[in-house]
Amino acid sequence: MPKCTIDGKEVEFSPGENLVKVAKRAGVEIPVFCYHPGLSVVAQCRMCYVEVEKMPKLQTACSTMAVEGMVVKTQSEAVKKGRAGTMEFLLLNHPLDCPICDKAGECDLQDNSYGHGGAYMRHSEERRTYVDVDMGPVIQKNMNRCIHCTRCIRFGDEVAGIHEMVAIQRGNNIDITTIDGKQLKTEYAGNYSDICPTGSLTLKDFRFKKRAWMLKKTPTICEGCSKGCNMEVQHEGNVVYRCVPRENLEINQYWMCDEGRFNYRYTQDESRVLVPMKKSGGSWLVSEWDSVLSELRADLSAKEVVCLVGSDLTNEEMSAIRETMGTIAKSAKLMSFGTPGIGTASQDGPADTILKMKSKTANLNGAEKAGFAPVTGAVRAEVVVVFRGGRAELPKIEASRVYGAGVFLERDRGALTAILPGLSFLEKDGTIVNHQGKEQRLQKAITPRGRCKSTGEMLMLLLNQKAVSA
Amino acid sequence: MEKHLSDRFYGAMSKLEPRYPNKKALILPALHQAQKEYGWLPKEVLAEVAEYIGVHEAQIREVASFYTMYNLKPVGKTHLKLCTNVACCLRGADDLMEYAEKKLGVKCGETTPDGLFTLSEEECLGACTTAPVMMANDEYVENLDIRALNELIEKVKHER
Amino acid sequence: MSAETQTLFVQHFWNDSNRTLDYYVKRMNGYESAKKVIATMTPDQVIEEVKKANIRGRGGAGFPMGMKWGFIPKNSEKPKYLVCNADESEPGTCKDRQIIRYTPHLLIEGLIIGSYAIGCHHSYVYIRGEYVREAELLNAAIEEAYKNGYLGKNVFGSGFDLDITVHRGAGAYICGEETGLLNSLEGKRGEPRVKPPFPAVSGAFSCPTAVNNVESIANVPHIIRLGGEEFAKLGKIDKSGGTRLISLSGHVNKPGVYEALAGSMTVRQIIEDFGGGVWKGKRLKAVIPGGSSSPVLTADEIDVVYDVEPLMKIGTMMGSAAVMVIDEDTDMVKLLLRITKFYAHESCGQCTPCREGCHWMESILHKILHGEAKPSDIDLLVDVAGNIGGKTLCALGDAAAMPVQSFVKKFRSEFEAYVKGQKSHA
Repeated sequence: MPKCTIDGKEVEFSPGENLVKVAKRAGVEIPVFCYHPGLSVVAQCRMCYVEVEKMPKLQTACSTMAVEGMVVKTQSEAVKKGRAGTMEFLLLNHPLDCPICDKAGECDLQDNSYGHGGAYMRHSEERRTYVDVDMGPVIQKNMNRCIHCTRCIRFGDEVAGIHEMVAIQRGNNIDITTIDGKQLKTEYAGNYSDICPTGSLTLKDFRFKKRAWMLKKTPTICEGCSKGCNMEVQHEGNVVYRCVPRENLEINQYWMCDEGRFNYRYTQDESRVLVPMKKSGGSWLVSEWDSVLSELRADLSAKEVVCLVGSDLTNEEMSAIRETMGTIAKSAKLMSFGTPGIGTASQDGPADTILKMKSKTANLNGAEKAGFAPVTGAVRAEVVVVFRGGRAELPKIEASRVYGAGVFLERDRGALTAILPGLSFLEKDGTIVNHQGKEQRLQKAITPRGRCKSTGEMLMLLLNQKAVSA
Repeated sequence: MEKHLSDRFYGAMSKLEPRYPNKKALILPALHQAQKEYGWLPKEVLAEVAEYIGVHEAQIREVASFYTMYNLKPVGKTHLKLCTNVACCLRGADDLMEYAEKKLGVKCGETTPDGLFTLSEEECLGACTTAPVMMANDEYVENLDIRALNELIEKVKHER
Repeated sequence: MSAETQTLFVQHFWNDSNRTLDYYVKRMNGYESAKKVIATMTPDQVIEEVKKANIRGRGGAGFPMGMKWGFIPKNSEKPKYLVCNADESEPGTCKDRQIIRYTPHLLIEGLIIGSYAIGCHHSYVYIRGEYVREAELLNAAIEEAYKNGYLGKNVFGSGFDLDITVHRGAGAYICGEETGLLNSLEGKRGEPRVKPPFPAVSGAFSCPTAVNNVESIANVPHIIRLGGEEFAKLGKIDKSGGTRLISLSGHVNKPGVYEALAGSMTVRQIIEDFGGGVWKGKRLKAVIPGGSSSPVLTADEIDVVYDVEPLMKIGTMMGSAAVMVIDEDTDMVKLLLRITKFYAHESCGQCTPCREGCHWMESILHKILHGEAKPSDIDLLVDVAGNIGGKTLCALGDAAAMPVQSFVKKFRSEFEAYVKGQKSHA
């Protein structure tokens, strides 16, 4: 491998790598704004200056490819002055409203200002201000905070495939916006907020909800479809505030769709059933675990039992269900369900040209590997037991008794006669297999609320035949 | 969508199409041609250009707003574009601007209430050796002085 | 040396009837160079001849033209483009306009030869939008050339194909920057591109492209006619062949576009011999020697030979050979504000120092001129210019910074008079 020298350290690189990446490997962080590894390189912000031996001017690290024998300095006086100059320029018109900005604490402009800016302000002219347009339900715009890095424009053009975010006018008057107050159409709008290096584009959903530094971060996998986008759940006090994508170059690169990003909301929905319930005479009554479990246990010996396994469950849950049913309900027929019409991996495929898959459950591949036959059409039996995470779409069920084990909102209760409240994907650990066949780990981010139990515990209790009280 | 641009526009464009490797390169010529028909570029027309080129409307808007010659607001019948850059400024362009403002009764950047004139300040027009210079619509007026400016304004007023 | 070789252009200027194909063929050996090139020379031989001619680009950067053509890859599978930069927009410059108005066939012939040399079959002339009539004249001349078989399929019956398309800009100085121009040609905002890749590798429509100024290309038929070595000898100074068209404007008695053998005159001679001296019998205060971005010269500095190296040696540049003469009564603060306002207005806005800095410099200068500035603001102005110059994506930042730095350095007392309240803006 060819080598170059960064701040005296020799680093190997592969041809075509830029100095930001190479420096990172040498442990040198080069400040950037406009550069984003998932977008084209434009070298506009002029923050990533470095000094390259034999080159008279400062170079931008983002647009400079490492070359064998190249000697790079990232901490010279010229570099420091260059970066301080850029920081000063960027703050000339920035409102410095960090105290009320949702980006505060995770803001590149703050961080780079802290790291590379000057302590005094030499600018005393009036600041440039804008009147903002509404961009729809996902993104809150604040152009005054914008530093014109154009990441959003490039994201729209190069990733989302829709050129709806544009720079209008030129020079000092540029407004980066949708035209005529049009709402963003892309189903990937949340990424605008992730990549914005300032508080210019923030999530409406997260607005004034929580300071960024208070959030705990748990890496997990999105359950929104079979893509398996890597994401991070950000939460505090057992409440989830937002989900953001995590980099995985083999799956989702740096992005996720809005459906996946906001999918978590149902787990905190007020109408989620958090206690065991039974339907009695047309109305739902709160019940006890042992009461519902013993009724289920008895019903499992019925002649016609179908056990529906959601393809939104983990591999571990699926095999525990198979084993338990094999022990206590030998005649039960096990079938998988998830997305109508997409019962097998061969029926799955891209739903758009970006990330989304047709299967709206995350573990279709796992369910198929576990050998469950997919449900086709209505399910008829005497007794039906449904295990699901929270996304598998219930098929039409015609049965006298229907048990739902897992996550159900009030609106999902239609076909059910009893509910055993289970855990959502945010409340459990487990393995899921994405459409490429990659196994990925769900990681528990928050503690289950109410009297919810894990699928494993429910099944243990069902086997043990012991009275329980939760 | 209701059509705003004429067959002449589409005819001119189809003649130009084979001269470029892709249709996007026709954006500037298309905007020139559309402005020739309308005198300025209303939003509906920009949308129609976008449809013709096959790009998002916003993309046409970002291009059109970059260039000063595309009028995104209506302009007067005669658009006086006075250069006030270095060479013209050295030879009295500021006085000419002051005179034009007074004579027309509008500030630079405005249109007269009768819609006859729009007065604009122009950056270097590339005719510095015959400064001061002005454009009256598409025509250069060189070695401009107050007398010539006055005559031109009077002439337009009489032609109305 | 015959009078004909003393000037290559201007004797054909200023007469509307000279622009016809008939005049060009009869009086200027029209299209003989192109015919000779296509019939008897290989593309490499043409490039070699242009290299021998020592012709520097006439657009402003002064890059050797033969070298530029030499960078175009020979074995590219993609189409190659020769793009003519007729965006003439550096304030002070208006020579290309005269070439297009009076000798358009010279440009067309140059494009034929250049296209043959680099293997281009479709050449674009990017002309500034304001040159409406000039674009019409050029299109008419191109039409004449097509009709006579000089353009289109099978040029001169040689089997070589070439189309030329005139593409109009729409009012943006930055489109004179070659990559801004290419973006504009492609139907985008005229924002300069990050380099590398250079246009020779990936230019117009992502294909190998040479971008040359009008005057540069219009010199090519002369180079072929005279021979590279003879053309080089026209220049009276090393590394600069041929003649230079000089746009002389400002406070002179006879402003105009003149032509001199490269390096044959001093700035003083240009003002006196061509311009008839400073107007109204006034004294000279300053000269902007190469378009508004070039660092200003004081009246004491004008005995410098007017060419690339001598001007560089005294800290300024020849640029596009636009000499702007400034008399003793001119307010340098006001003039600098006007120059700075121009660059702020024309900044495309994509890169930080130029977008923010040019506007800030304009604000500071406005404060100085209107008596609202502190003495320290003069140094602040210079420091801001330093944070722009050399730091931007394209040369516009330098173009904005250089006048500020040189005006303050050479005429500091005028700036001080304002901040000290000794002078106020009328």
